[in-house]
Amino acid sequence: MAKITLRERDYADVRVVGIPRGLLFYRYGAGWRTFFEALGRTVVTSPETDKAIVDAGTRVSIDECCLASKAYLGHVANLVGRCDAVFVPCYASADARAGFCTKFQSAPDLVASTFRDQGVRVMSMLVDRASNDKAAREAFTELALRMGASAADAKRACKTAHTAQTHVDKKRAAAQEATLRHLDEQRKAAAGASSSAASGVGGSATPSPSAAPAAPAAATSPLAILLVAHPYLAHDRFMCGTVVDALERMGATVVFADETNHDRAFKRSFDFSATLPWRINRELIGSILMLQDRIDGIVLVSAFPCGPDSMTDDAVMRCIQGTPILNLMVDAQSGTAGVETRVESFVDILRFQQMGGYIHG
Amino acid sequence: MADSMNRGGMPDGRGAISAPSASGAQPADAAATSGFEGARENAQALADQVRSKIAVQLEKHRAPSLLPKHKPFKRDRHKPVKVAFFRYCYYDPAFKFFVEQVLDAEYLPLPAPTKRTGELGALHSSDYVCTPFKHHLGDYIEALELGANVIVQFCGPCRLGYYGELHESILRDLGYEFDMLNFSVGAEEGALGWAKQCMKTVNPDLSVTNGLVKLAATADMAVKLDEARDFYLANAGFERERGAFERTWNALMDDMRAAKTDRDIGAAYRRAMEAMRAIPLDKPADPIRIGVVGEMFTAIDERSNLGLDAKLLALGVEVHRALNLTNRWIRYNEPNLRASAADYLTYDMGPTSTLTVAAAHRYAQEGFDGIIHAKSAGCTPEIDCVPVLQRVSADFQLPVLYLTYDSQTSDTGLDTRLEAFYDMLAMKKEKMRK
Repeated sequence: MAKITLRERDYADVRVVGIPRGLLFYRYGAGWRTFFEALGRTVVTSPETDKAIVDAGTRVSIDECCLASKAYLGHVANLVGRCDAVFVPCYASADARAGFCTKFQSAPDLVASTFRDQGVRVMSMLVDRASNDKAAREAFTELALRMGASAADAKRACKTAHTAQTHVDKKRAAAQEATLRHLDEQRKAAAGASSSAASGVGGSATPSPSAAPAAPAAATSPLAILLVAHPYLAHDRFMCGTVVDALERMGATVVFADETNHDRAFKRSFDFSATLPWRINRELIGSILMLQDRIDGIVLVSAFPCGPDSMTDDAVMRCIQGTPILNLMVDAQSGTAGVETRVESFVDILRFQQMGGYIHG
Repeated sequence: MADSMNRGGMPDGRGAISAPSASGAQPADAAATSGFEGARENAQALADQVRSKIAVQLEKHRAPSLLPKHKPFKRDRHKPVKVAFFRYCYYDPAFKFFVEQVLDAEYLPLPAPTKRTGELGALHSSDYVCTPFKHHLGDYIEALELGANVIVQFCGPCRLGYYGELHESILRDLGYEFDMLNFSVGAEEGALGWAKQCMKTVNPDLSVTNGLVKLAATADMAVKLDEARDFYLANAGFERERGAFERTWNALMDDMRAAKTDRDIGAAYRRAMEAMRAIPLDKPADPIRIGVVGEMFTAIDERSNLGLDAKLLALGVEVHRALNLTNRWIRYNEPNLRASAADYLTYDMGPTSTLTVAAAHRYAQEGFDGIIHAKSAGCTPEIDCVPVLQRVSADFQLPVLYLTYDSQTSDTGLDTRLEAFYDMLAMKKEKMRK
């Protein structure tokens, strides 16, 4: 690691750090916030995405950018004047099998160029290999030193941040596992009820001419939907809220693919593809492979026009069989009515399948 | 149960989105407003269209993998291995040399692409994947139809790194039988991994020592081709006799295709350069100079950019293009390149981004009249370069023409834009002279 001299403590005067609520904030945000707070800084985040933010972002973006990137610039615009510097980290795509979309790599320079006239100060550091804990820690240590912290404080801040992020990730994974276990139990109970009601009518996937008597029992069996989307879509109400609400209103339980244990999902994804270059897409696909037998349907949501998803969505639709898949593309104006109709018809297909499906299946 | 693929949204949704492609001249100051208006209109057109798709396949007919384990297909031992590349600019002699001299296999040259090539590629690709992916897929299908049994794909730090595996998966699902030399596989091990790949897919008896020597010669050929091309681009717009440069260039390509050793390469290069220097020129003292920057495929490849080189040269322009194999791969030093444009770049923004910005910056410093930025639709790294280029443009008062190509971009539309851009530069130059 480069030795930091006093001259290079160029972020020492930053007291209030602004973090835009977009892109990797949804993946690493807890750690970032803890990190800056451990260094005694005040952290300001932009509010939840809304139409005003997306519109503000769209106004300063190149029109070909993806929706998530436009929203991100809107979040930066929201922080202008509310903080000393905006934190825009550079997560590199260099890692051959665990890199990021080049968007995260170009973000600091993109933000600096876009907001140069407003005098926005960008605070940044390069995370070369996010998959390597040591490299990530070094990047953060360097940032802490540039912010004027002592070596010991820098080390402590990194450790606290890492613990906080791991804690959040673990909590999410545990909650997801609990939900899945609950669903398994419900499903077992429903299957037991249906087999006692109409002896011989078995599992939900078996098409049977005598499906009618099983119908009331099947109605009580749960419907689990795996929502596969980048974390900055899945957990952003503006992007995915309509989809999640529509699914829940139809009585389905939504399981988020990005909450599955990251490391295990990442490893599992190599079964699907040897050369897939993006870490987050790997985690999502690994999660599909891990959970496929415990869910009833998959909903893929992408922001138009997402680069990585342009290659993985079609591949997932083609190669993952045995579970119905709905692929939705969200853009700034996709009307809620359109999304709801499609989600409802998809859930109808799944329910119909649960009740025995097409006789000629 | 049968697959039911249901395409939601409007069938012409794609048209609406690609409409701003080749979004026209954005001279220094006017850039901002015109771009935003387009975006808003566009978003309006998209209102209440949801692009969705459903796949229902209840039985598992395949393992959940892009490339499920398949029986290796049996090649006839007595027939030569025929290796094909995708079509890529003027590098086909270098690819041929690589296959014949390094891999010791037979090279399958592809004829000029047709409309069908593009249509085949677009038909079997996801509709919003970057355009080179579609072009390559079309090329591969044609190569396999012509008898290739090994196809080659590069690796790269953006979506390019995933091209190979996805191409292979799509082609296998279409029923083609072949081996894929995918340089993305084995990239972790570097040169050793690639050597293993070559042995595994093409020629198990490959000589590594000979291969290394010939590989150096291949790189040398690429460098010489790029040097000759640089001279061609700078001067062919001013030839006294129409077509003289084109003729010499074609002779060079033929000589390079026939080259067997590094001596042949050197001789062909010298011959071509002598011939090109001897061509009489009508070059003004202060010609209009345009720098072309952009993405690896679209900025160079004639098929991808609809003959941008030829169109510019026909207008009588001195063309410069820093982006080529030599500058991007063989002599690429990213940190130093980035340092040359330190006012605009803090980090490496993407695979060709540094070269794009640094080259544009250099052209601006050298007093060029204009810059053309060419990229394929949806190329994330180059889209992110645009705000930076807008800064360079504003700081140096240098007009930039942003061109976005997709499989629908029209030739006439491009002509109109280039002519308008040329007229604008010519008028500006005239005004400055007074």
